This record gives sequence, C-alpha cells and structure tokens, in this order.
Amino acid sequence: MKLIELGLVEMVRVVKEGEVRATEIVEDYIARIEKEDKEIRAYLTYSFDRALRRAREIDLKKDKGKLAGAVIAIKDNIVTRGIRTTCASRILENFNPPYNATVVDRLEAEDAVIIGKTNLDEFAMGSSTENSGFFPTRNPWDKGRVPGGSSGGSAAAVAGLEAVAALGSDTGGSVRQPAAFCGLVGLKPTYGLVSRYGLVAFASSLDQIGPLARSVEDCALITSIIAGFDPRDSTSSPLPVPDYLAESGIPLPNFRVGVLDVSSLTGVKEEVVRNYQDVLRMIAGLGIEMQKLDLPSWEYALPCYYVIAPSEASSNLARYDGVRYGFRAESSELSDMYLRTRTRGFGREVKRRILLGTFALSSGYYEAYYARAAKVRQAILREFVEAFKKVDFILTPTTPEPAFRLGEKQDPISMYLQDYFTVAANLAGIPGLSVPSGFSTDHLPLGLQVLGRSFAESELFKFAFLLEKNLNLKNNRYGINTRGRRKNEN
Amino acid sequence: MLNMTIDLDHVSRLANLELTEEERKILPEQMEKIIDWVGQLSRLQVTEEEKYTPVNFSLRLEEDEVRESLPQEEALAMAPEKSGDYIKVPRVLQGK
Repeated sequence: MKLIELGLVEMVRVVKEGEVRATEIVEDYIARIEKEDKEIRAYLTYSFDRALRRAREIDLKKDKGKLAGAVIAIKDNIVTRGIRTTCASRILENFNPPYNATVVDRLEAEDAVIIGKTNLDEFAMGSSTENSGFFPTRNPWDKGRVPGGSSGGSAAAVAGLEAVAALGSDTGGSVRQPAAFCGLVGLKPTYGLVSRYGLVAFASSLDQIGPLARSVEDCALITSIIAGFDPRDSTSSPLPVPDYLAESGIPLPNFRVGVLDVSSLTGVKEEVVRNYQDVLRMIAGLGIEMQKLDLPSWEYALPCYYVIAPSEASSNLARYDGVRYGFRAESSELSDMYLRTRTRGFGREVKRRILLGTFALSSGYYEAYYARAAKVRQAILREFVEAFKKVDFILTPTTPEPAFRLGEKQDPISMYLQDYFTVAANLAGIPGLSVPSGFSTDHLPLGLQVLGRSFAESELFKFAFLLEKNLNLKNNRYGINTRGRRKNEN
Repeated sequence: MLNMTIDLDHVSRLANLELTEEERKILPEQMEKIIDWVGQLSRLQVTEEEKYTPVNFSLRLEEDEVRESLPQEEALAMAPEKSGDYIKVPRVLQGK
C-alpha cells in the first residue's frame, strides 16, 4: 500500500512509531502532486521546500506531535506566514502575510506539514470554484465536473490523494458541499468553536473554519487540534474542547433523529431523494427512533442568507482599497485610486455581492432587507431550538444534486440554490457534518448532512462514525475505505 | 416589501466600484432577479422583535498590558508604496 493512501490517523501512527519518516511521506505527496495537479489544479501555491524542511525537523524530534507527518492543505483564504495568500483574488495576488492564522499555528505545533494553499471561489463566494480569479479546479472523480465550492481546491486535494486532509472555510456550505461532491467527510463547526483569527473575513457572523478528511476519525482528530478558545478572536468560545477522536468510538446512548420530507422539494434531484430514503431505511434498521420534522422557516433560509452574507461582505471587503497591502491601480488622485483598484481587483461575483450588500444596507432599504433578514434569522434559530427539544440530530441530503459540469450553471440564482440544505446551520450557528452516503447513477459521490445542537460536535462525530460504519462505503475513487485500509476491489 | 428598481449607479458609487460596459448590460437584470428572489422574506410571518446575535456567551475584556505586536517593518512590508516609515498614497485633494 502506498503512503499517500494512508488515512490521517494511521499516517500519524506510523510516523510516531518510527515505521516511516515524515520526509518519505512528504516526498511521496510531492511526487503525487507533480503528477496529478496539472490536471486537477487543486492548489494555487505549493510550499514544498518549507514542507520538506519541516519534515526533516519532525524526523529528528523525539517527542512527536499529535499530527506528526500529516500532509495538510490549507484553503487560500487562511493566512500563512511566508506563504502567499490570495483568496483567489487578483486584489491579493501578491499578498505575503506577516503572520499565521491561529489554526495554522495549532496544526504546526502538533507537527503537521503544510504542503500548499488551495484554490477557492474568490473570497469564498461561490459553490464550484469556477469563480476563482486564477483558474477552475476539477473534481478528481470526474474531471469534467466541479469539485464544489468554495473550498473546492481543498476537497479536490484530499480526494485526489494530494493531501491527507485539508482546512476549508464554511460561510453557507463551503466545506460541506465540496466534501459531498468529492466523497469526503467535512465539518462546519459550531460558530465560536474554532478561532477565525487569520481567516480572511467574508461574512463574520457566519464564517467558520472546518476540516475536510477521508474519514470521520480523521475529521475528529483535526477538529480536536484546531478547536478551542483563542484570545485573538473575541467570538471564540471559552468552553473546554473534548478529545473528539477518543470519544468518537463510544456508542451514543438512546437518541432520536429528525428527518425531512425531501421528496416534495423542487430542485432536489431524484437520485438524491432516493439515496436519502435508502439511508433512512438503514437507520431505521438499526432501531434508531426517527421523527418527521416540519421546519417552515427553512424555506426562507437561502434568501435570508443572500441578504445577510452580502451585507457583511460589502462591509468586510471595504478594506481592499490599495493603500496598505494588495493590488493598487495607478492613479494621480486618492479617491480615483480606490475606485480603480477595486474595479480592477475584484471579479464579477464578488462585485455582484458587494453591490447587493451595499443595496441591502443603504438608506431607505435597510429595514426592508437587512433588518427583516435579521429577524427571519432569529426565527430560524428558534425553530432549530424547538426541533432539538424533540430530536438530537437532523438529517438532510448535503446537496440537491451531485457534482455538476464545469460551466453548467451560468445564472447566479441556480448556483445559490446549491446551498439549499447547508445555509440554515450557518444562520443558526449550529454544527453540520457531511458524510459520504452513496453514489449517483453516474457513480458520483453523494453526501448526507448531520446537524446537531451547538457545541455538540462530539455527539455528531459519534453518530457520523456509526453511519460511516454501517454505510460501509469506499469513500474515494482509489478504493480506500473509510478507515484508511484498502478494501478488495469489487 | 418594497418593490423598487435598484439604482445601480448610486449603489456602485457607495461601494466604490465602477461597472464595465459588459457589467452594465448584464448586472441590472441579474440584480433585479436576485432582489426579487430575496423579497420572498416578507412572506414569512415573523413575530420576532429580537434580531439574531451570533455569540451568546459574555465577551471578555482584554487585560490592559503591553504585549509584542507586529513590528512596524513587517506591517509596512506589503504596502504598495512607501516613504520612510509611512505608507504613501496619491494626493487626497484634486488640484486644478
């Protein structure tokens, strides 16, 4: 078995026990990337020299960290000291951050190796990675299709064996949807669980950093490392963080699962509905109690999101003015310099959202749009609070359809509908995990979303672990099963 | 909800953005459609008086103590144009 096929937990074990050197793993991944990434284009920037240097240091250490030798890719909207960070935007094309995001510091403190920075929709605005200011990324399962977005580069890297795991960010589904499209496990943690210090802000009340991995246990391990209070992020929670990996194998006591009637929803592909129903039958077969939920405000989550997120973005992206860092357009006069810098530096979708947000916050419209959306958001939260009195988890498909073709979605609203099942979790601040749940008729991966109560990540992992075990899927196209060991090809 | 046409020239001025010829052609219709689509928010019966707040633990205050921060040299390293220890920008007032 090749080293790059090892799952994260297994990889760390062999490095810690001295069976394999971190340097060998990094070299194998570099070789893999050099071969595969010309086509997949998961990465915007490689950091091979730095990775090899780190690996040599780790090999010399006696006491190796909890992520020793783990080759990890980082979405390029998370800042890395000394590695260019672009947000896939021309406006930050040559930005070289002077500091690390807290999550990067935490990964490196446990001897993970950062192998490169991954492609995304510009400033994380999109669902296909086609909005990258540089180039699109391709789905390793079918190179004519998108990997999802906005963390599409991170998902493609992990699914294509170009990294063992990756970090993404999720503002409306940007970790979970690409995880589903690429056959991976992806977590959007509870708002406040993971520090956002060093995550380039898109919509600050919704953004969370989350991991993408090949199995639930790999995802649980990374989450344990990156979670926890950070004095540099005032929204980070002071609650103690459990060891999710150690807890993931402990069976849950009696619990109840809430399900939706998805067959009546327009825009949800039939094969997605079928897969969802198959999974529910499997769960019923395990003797788990299920309850149908009616969530009337759910329908309003998407339009609510498309008022809140662009409004916050229009404010956050005001900082790109060509003064302190990033691209500056030539001009002899200051206000004209601002205008030209922003006009030339931002891509079309980013401009569209800035304009939409500026409109929603502008005098005369604020009450009708932003203030209204903020109240709808509260109604969505209240509905979740009520639902979680009756059930412990809510299950939905992660996406309305499997990975679509590059160039297939030209109309902005049809792209926005990708987030149909995922945005509500961001609006309510609750955690959401996507696990592979089967395949479409074209053998494209499908995902199941598990939503839980705020800060109930440990329970989410336990339940996801149970699902993963019972679904017994090969979760990537190389035939590696979810526990990191090769299964017989069938 | 109000059903008014978006004044794109006004909004783009507020956002410090200029629209290209092509954007002028496609954006108005797209923006109208999006605004019309989010307009369905007015249909939900909302009893909430409260607006959502993302954090429900009490925010803590920082101790008032001196700590290391980003050195000036590094903070200035990414500036497009510098003059000594300052960031340089084009002139603020338009001269005739």
